[in-house]
Amino acid sequence: MGGYQGLVLRVDLTNQKVTTERLNMEWAADYLGGKGLGMKYLYEEVGPGAGALAPENKLIFMTGPFTGTIVPCSGKLSIVTKSPASGTILDCSIGGSAAVEIKRAGYDAVIIEGKSDHPVYLLIEDDRVELREAKDYWGLGCHDTEEKFKQTYGDDYSVLSTGPAGENLVTFACITSDMYRQAGRGGVGAVMGSKMLKAVVVKGTGGVGAADIQKLMEVAHNAFKNDLLTDTNLWAYTDGTPMIVELSQTTGILPTNNFQQGNFDKFAGIKSESVTAARLAKKGCTSCGLGCGNFIKAGDVVVEGPEYETLSVAGSNCGIGDLGAIAKFNNYCDAYGLDSISTGGVIAFAMEMTEKGIHDFGIRFGDVEKYLELPGLIATRRGLGAELANGVKKLAETYGGREFAMQVKGLEFPGYDPRGSWGMGLAYATAPRGACHMSAWPVAEEAYGERDPFTIEGKAELVKDLQHYNAAKFSLILCDFWALSFDLMAEMLAALLGREITAGDLELAGERIFNLARLFNIREGMGAKDDVLPERIYSHPLPGGATMGKTLPEGEFKKMLAEYYSLRGWDENGRPTPEKLARLGLA
Amino acid sequence: MKLKFQPEKCIGCHLCELACSGYKEGVFNPALARLQVSSKYKSYNLVNEARLCDRCLKCVDACTTGALKFDAAQLVLNGDECVNCGACFEACPTGVLRPGGQGFPLVCDGCRGDPYCVKWCPHGALLVEEAR
Repeated sequence: MGGYQGLVLRVDLTNQKVTTERLNMEWAADYLGGKGLGMKYLYEEVGPGAGALAPENKLIFMTGPFTGTIVPCSGKLSIVTKSPASGTILDCSIGGSAAVEIKRAGYDAVIIEGKSDHPVYLLIEDDRVELREAKDYWGLGCHDTEEKFKQTYGDDYSVLSTGPAGENLVTFACITSDMYRQAGRGGVGAVMGSKMLKAVVVKGTGGVGAADIQKLMEVAHNAFKNDLLTDTNLWAYTDGTPMIVELSQTTGILPTNNFQQGNFDKFAGIKSESVTAARLAKKGCTSCGLGCGNFIKAGDVVVEGPEYETLSVAGSNCGIGDLGAIAKFNNYCDAYGLDSISTGGVIAFAMEMTEKGIHDFGIRFGDVEKYLELPGLIATRRGLGAELANGVKKLAETYGGREFAMQVKGLEFPGYDPRGSWGMGLAYATAPRGACHMSAWPVAEEAYGERDPFTIEGKAELVKDLQHYNAAKFSLILCDFWALSFDLMAEMLAALLGREITAGDLELAGERIFNLARLFNIREGMGAKDDVLPERIYSHPLPGGATMGKTLPEGEFKKMLAEYYSLRGWDENGRPTPEKLARLGLA
Repeated sequence: MKLKFQPEKCIGCHLCELACSGYKEGVFNPALARLQVSSKYKSYNLVNEARLCDRCLKCVDACTTGALKFDAAQLVLNGDECVNCGACFEACPTGVLRPGGQGFPLVCDGCRGDPYCVKWCPHGALLVEEAR
């Protein structure tokens, strides 16, 4: 059998029991792997109303059919659970080496269920799997945790860990691996912390097969030379995501001072040239041909990062234009186990609340000293951090400022202002996990591309198609930064699995996966009422630059959303029609 | 020919090892590759290292049965003559020579002068140097 190992590792923390079972191959055929297959297991195993931080929630680590093969950019791991931030279905992906180690140990997936009554870690060495006491690790930051495990087991083990933020159930706690790689969004780290699982430590020595390995290598090598290592993708190597800073600045969508502006006067300090100047080395995930990671030294900090999302949401959006400060903040977030996007978002919100005199959080835009204290305070819920740990949505419910609480469904905005890329507004509103840039990234064609960013014309279809594309791609799993076609994905998958697979099959799988995520959220009571944007996007015009005077008017947004529902075969409440479900095999 | 590693150009993707094991062993498994590359953060530094066969031929000298030969500018193993004595592994100064699934040494034959590991290296960290 090619691609899949055919085995799931199931870890029952309540009873401290580890079992294996066959991977459901019918589900694998329909949902591919990674994001999609993880969501299918979650949908079947975690019913409506389950508490995200309760034992009944599960934490699913899912590899994909390409994981561990020579297919480039296939090294990521999907982590699927119910989100404590949004109450929605949540999938995150994490780079590094952990996915390949899990697969080489012989498993397609690791499903964590129940809750331990004391801190534990999961040790996987091929078929030797154990839960071990983690009291010596509990309370440690992610970096120290990883260093300590590597001293014990060796450098060739991969570690997935949660930090103090996850232990303290901060709803935007992340999971870290290979020191600087994160599954950032929606609180996967809090779910891990709630189960008292400090880490997964894994080393595999096995291999991954292919139905037609010669064919796969031939197709993959051709793709590697002629499709991957091209100008379309090599920005990830030459610059990495900091390249986006300048694009956002010039197109007026760089979040600044909690999305009050789309331009930042100190942007020169955070643009790509500044990051590149501080760079020590490039780093990629296992099987990556690009190497987007920038390992830098800025001031007294070394860190792999900061990525665009951190430079924007935790930089310009907090009024901070000093790369050294942002790198330090990035490093604190990584160490404490916090999503730097949501952490930046919640700090920016507190800054505006203070400056507007609505509630005094004691922190203002550009206040570097306080900004750098906050990751530690949030992760440990001390002082001001105890409040900010609740996230933007809950802070606004308590103290006001709802119209500029930049979140959807409880997930804070990433670094693209939808007033200058109207399709991005639709993407935020309809992404299953809330305001998310990974479900669809229409900004590439709008603000950064050729399409008019200030129109709803054609945007519903664009967002829908991109959502299917990403759903399929992140299920296989391939990295976001390889802009490859459905045809190429299908050709490689066919050689791997030894059966005919078309681009159309993958597109349909993408649509099925996206709709399954919607069904999960509908089962939780969500619908059209939740597909909304903060008032600021509808009615606060941007004050300068390329987006001067722009909003995304609510009427236009609603028209775009209605068209989107209609194109999707969803009713006016955003529910898939029975005909649509039947066509997708979801009835 | 000889392989050369430039650590500053390595991004730690392991495509070289995956290619080597895929072409030579028919499975994607870095443990069966004829070279080993490691790229890890150690004490907050990124350390890139590689073990490559540098054709020192100490394994050939150590071979007790003549199964390992250097012939037509490449290392060759005659499996029928190998008795799995392990002398070649002990003689290998870098440790790059390792046993495969059946215990036979995984010998780097340089892919007839056009190594797959080099073809799959995205940013030129692996190079072919001149013939010995």
